Amino acid sequence: MARYIIRRILWGIVLLILVSALTFVIFVVFPTANPAQLRAGRNASPAIIRHITVELGLNHSIFVQFWDYMKGIFFHFNFGYSYYSQQPVLTLIADRLPATLSLTIGAVILWVVAGIPIGIISAIKRGTFLDRTAMGVALTFVSMPVFWLALLLLYFFASDIGKFPLLPGANSYVGLTADPGKWFTSLILPWLVLAATQAAIYSRLLRGNLLEVMGEDYIRTARAKGLSERRVIWHHGVRSAITPVVTVLGLDIGGLLGGAVLTETVFEIHGIGLLNFNAINESDFPIVQGTVLLAAMFIIVMNIVVDVGYAYLDPRVKYS
Amino acid sequence: MRKYRAAIVGAIVGVLALGVTACGSSSSSSSTSKSGGGSTSTPSAQSVPLKSGENPVGQSLYGNKKGGTLTVYSSEDFEHLDPGESYFELDYAVDYATQRPLFSYPPNSASQLLPDLATALPTTANGGITNGGKTITVHIQPNVKFSPPVSRVVTSKDVAFALERGDNPNVANPYMTYFASVIGAATGKGGPWAGISTPNNTTIVFHLNKPQAQVVIGALSLPITSPVPKEFAAPMDKHAPTTYGSTAIVATGPYMLESNPKTGVFAGLGYQTGKSATLVRNPNWDASTYTSAYKPPAYLDRINVEIGGDASVIGPQVLKGSDSVQLDTPANSVVKLAYEKYPSQITFTPGSGDHYIALDNQHGPFANVNVRRAAWAAEDRAAIIKERGGSLTAAPATHFIYPGNDGYAQSGGAAGPQVPWNTDVNGNLAVAEKYMKAAGYPSGKYTGNAVIQIVGANNGNSPAIVQIFNSALTSLGFKTHVSLVDQSVMYSKYCGVPKQEIDACPTVGWIRDFANPLTTLYVTFYGPAIVPTNNSNWGQVNNPQINAAMVAAENTVDQTAATQAWANVDKMLVNQAVAIPEDFDNQANIESGNVDGINDLWDTGSWDFMFTSLK
Repeated sequence: MARYIIRRILWGIVLLILVSALTFVIFVVFPTANPAQLRAGRNASPAIIRHITVELGLNHSIFVQFWDYMKGIFFHFNFGYSYYSQQPVLTLIADRLPATLSLTIGAVILWVVAGIPIGIISAIKRGTFLDRTAMGVALTFVSMPVFWLALLLLYFFASDIGKFPLLPGANSYVGLTADPGKWFTSLILPWLVLAATQAAIYSRLLRGNLLEVMGEDYIRTARAKGLSERRVIWHHGVRSAITPVVTVLGLDIGGLLGGAVLTETVFEIHGIGLLNFNAINESDFPIVQGTVLLAAMFIIVMNIVVDVGYAYLDPRVKYS
Repeated sequence: MRKYRAAIVGAIVGVLALGVTACGSSSSSSSTSKSGGGSTSTPSAQSVPLKSGENPVGQSLYGNKKGGTLTVYSSEDFEHLDPGESYFELDYAVDYATQRPLFSYPPNSASQLLPDLATALPTTANGGITNGGKTITVHIQPNVKFSPPVSRVVTSKDVAFALERGDNPNVANPYMTYFASVIGAATGKGGPWAGISTPNNTTIVFHLNKPQAQVVIGALSLPITSPVPKEFAAPMDKHAPTTYGSTAIVATGPYMLESNPKTGVFAGLGYQTGKSATLVRNPNWDASTYTSAYKPPAYLDRINVEIGGDASVIGPQVLKGSDSVQLDTPANSVVKLAYEKYPSQITFTPGSGDHYIALDNQHGPFANVNVRRAAWAAEDRAAIIKERGGSLTAAPATHFIYPGNDGYAQSGGAAGPQVPWNTDVNGNLAVAEKYMKAAGYPSGKYTGNAVIQIVGANNGNSPAIVQIFNSALTSLGFKTHVSLVDQSVMYSKYCGVPKQEIDACPTVGWIRDFANPLTTLYVTFYGPAIVPTNNSNWGQVNNPQINAAMVAAENTVDQTAATQAWANVDKMLVNQAVAIPEDFDNQANIESGNVDGINDLWDTGSWDFMFTSLK
C-alpha cells in the first residue's frame, strides 16, 4: 500500500508539472494581451512598455520564462507575483483559501447528507411516487445553472434584496474566526446553491448504481442466507454501489477547492474562484497559473485519497 | 486616454453591461469628461430627454448633511492608487478624494478648470502665462499638509518631485506625453527636469520649449500633479515597480486610505487587493486651504469600498438598500430596473466618451478616401445606439470631439459637420454607392479582390456592433473576414499593432484625459504619434494637412483660438472620413434612495466622494 501511495504521489507531481506546462502554453500560444501593455496603460510610450517587459521578465525567451517559473514553484515554492498588485501569488491564495474551504466543506456535507439518503430511498422505493418525485426534483436541480439558482435564491431570500428577506445575501461573508455566527449564516445560501445541484447528481448516481447492485447474484445470496433487508442494503448493496460516488466526490471536492467561480462571484465571497476569475479578466497570468496549479493539486490529492479509500470500502480492492 | 470602467462581471450571468475602455480607448459604453479651461460646450446639450433627477448638471453641491459612512460597491478592483501611476477611472475616484492636484474640475462641470492646490489658474492676464506661452508660473496654497506620518507642509518641490517621478521607469506614468514640452521631461528618467524651477516653497515655474501652455495647464489637473513627499516616496520608487501606492501612501485631500499613522502603510488595512478599500478623514486636511470656487465639502466620515461580486447583484443591493452607490458600470438589467422603478436613483452622465470604427487609412481599400466615405454613409449608427442600450446611454456620433469637450459645439454639436456621408444616421446606401463610384467602382459596389479584415471585441454588445458594420460593408459588395477576440487582445495584438494592417476595428473607443480636445484627437489621429506597438492611432491616420493643423492648434496660446483650431481639425477628420463615428456615450450610475450622490461630469459621471452625502 505504501509503495502504491508513493507511486501515486510521484505521478501526481509529474501531472502537476504537465498542468503547469499546459497552462503556460495556453497563455503563450493563444492570443492574450501583453501584460506589460496592460500594466502600462494605453498612453504609455514604447520605452515604458519595454521597461515593464523587463521588470516582469517577459523579455526572456519562452523557455527561460517557463524554466524560471517552474524553478520558482518547485524549488522555492514561489508562485510569482501578481502583475497588477505586485503581491505574492501564494499570499493571495493563502488569504482566499479559508473562504473557499468554508464554502466547499459545508456544501459537501450538505449534498452528501441530502443526496445519498435520497438516492438510497429512491432505489429502494423504485417506481413509487416518492421515487418519481425525488428524481423529478433532482432532475430540476441538475438542469439549473449554478449562477441562475444563486441569483434566484438571492432575489427570494437575501436579507437585502430578497422578497422574503431571511438570510444574509451577497457580500455578507465573514471569516470563521471573526464571527462564527455570521460565518455560518452568510454561507447558508451559497451552500444551498452548491449542494442543490450536486445532491441531485449524487442521488441520481447512487440510485442507478444501487439498482444495478441490488440485482446482483450476491445480493440474492445474502437474502437467501436470511440477512435482514436493512443489512443487505447497507452492508452489501450501498457499500458496493457507493464506490463510484466516492470517486466523483473526490473529484468534486478537489475541483471546488480550486475555486467555485460562479458561486463565489455571485455571492461575492473572496475565495480562490473569485481571485481566479478576476485574474483571467486582467490577464494576470501568475495568479491564474497559481490557482490552476492549486486546483490540479487538490484534484490529484483527492484522487489519491479516494483510491486509498477504495481499499477500505470495497474488500475486493487490493493495492500492491 | 484613460481606462474606462468595464462591465466584466455582469457577463458571467449573461447580462451585458455598459462600459468603454480607457485611457484613450473604449469599448462598451461608459462615460467621462475632464476638461481644461474655458469651454463653450455643455454636456447637458444632448437630445436625450432626461427625467427629473437624471441629469447631474444641475446637481446641488453644498448645504448637505455631514457625517455617515458610504458603502461603495464595485465589481472591478482598482489598478493603481499611486497618483503617479493611475489612469483608470475607478482609481480616479480615490485619487481625487485623497490627493490635491494643482487644478481640479468641480463635479458639475466638464470643462471649468479651477485651482485646487494652486491659488489661481494661470492666464496671460494674471501673469501666469508668459514668454509667449512658453512659461507657466503656478503658486500653491501655503498651508496644505500631508497626512500622517509625513504631516509636514506641502511645498512646490513636492509638486516638482511628483511630476519628475512620473518619468521614473518604476513609476511609468502614462501621461508624460502631455508634459513633453516641459524642458527635460521628454528625456527624464525620474530625476529633476531642467524645465521646472521652484524659486520658493509656494511657487513652481514650468519652462517649455514650445508655446503649449494650454496643454500643460490642462494636464496639471491630472493626478500626477498631486504633491508627493520625496523623503517618503523615493525609497519606495527604487523598487520595480514602486511600492508607493501599493504598500504605503500619504494624502493631501480630505480623505486618506486608512493606514498605520506611524508608517503610512495601508496595505491590508485601508486596501485589500480584490476585496476592499477604506477611506477615512485625513486629520491634516484643512478646508480653509481652498481659496477658489472649488471647495470640497467632504460630507462623509468614511467610505467603504467593497470590491468584487456580480454587477447584476450589486445593482439591486444599491437600489433597494441604503447608504450605497455602485462605482463601476451597472448591468443593463439593473439600468432598466432603475429607470423603471427607481428613477430618482439613476443618473445618466453625458460626455462620457465615444466609440468609432477605425479604418486603415494606409493600406487596402480604405486607403481611398471615397471608400471610407462610402462605408461611413452605409453605416447604420441608429442600430448601434440600440445595441449600446438605447438613447439613454448613447447618442449617434457625428464627429470626433464628443459632448463636454471644448470644441464640440464649434465643430457642429450633435449634428456634426454637414457632409453628405454624415447626415443620415440610419445609413444611406444611395449616398454610399455614390462615393463608391467616386472611388472608381462604376457599379457603386466594390469589385476588387481584397478581403476586409475586421477585428472586434467579443464581449458585451461588441459582436452585434461588428455585425452591423459587417452588414454595411457586404451591402457595398465587400468580402469580409471577421475575428472577435478579447478586448485587451484586440488592442494589444491587432488594432494597436500597425504591421498587422487590420482594415477595420469597429469596437474601439476613447475617453479624453482632460478637456483640451488635443487629448481626444492627438494620439488617435496624429500621424507622427503612430508607434509600432500599443498604438492608439488605430487607423494609422497620417494626413500631412491634418498633422500640421494639429501642431498649430496645440501651439495656440489663446484658449478660444485653440478651441476653434481643434474644432477645425475635427472637421478635417470628418471630411477625410478617417474613421466612422458610432456613438457618444452617456454613463449610467446608481445610488441608494438616501444617498445624495454627486457625479463628476468631467470623469464619466463617477461618484465624487468629496461632494456626495447621505440624506
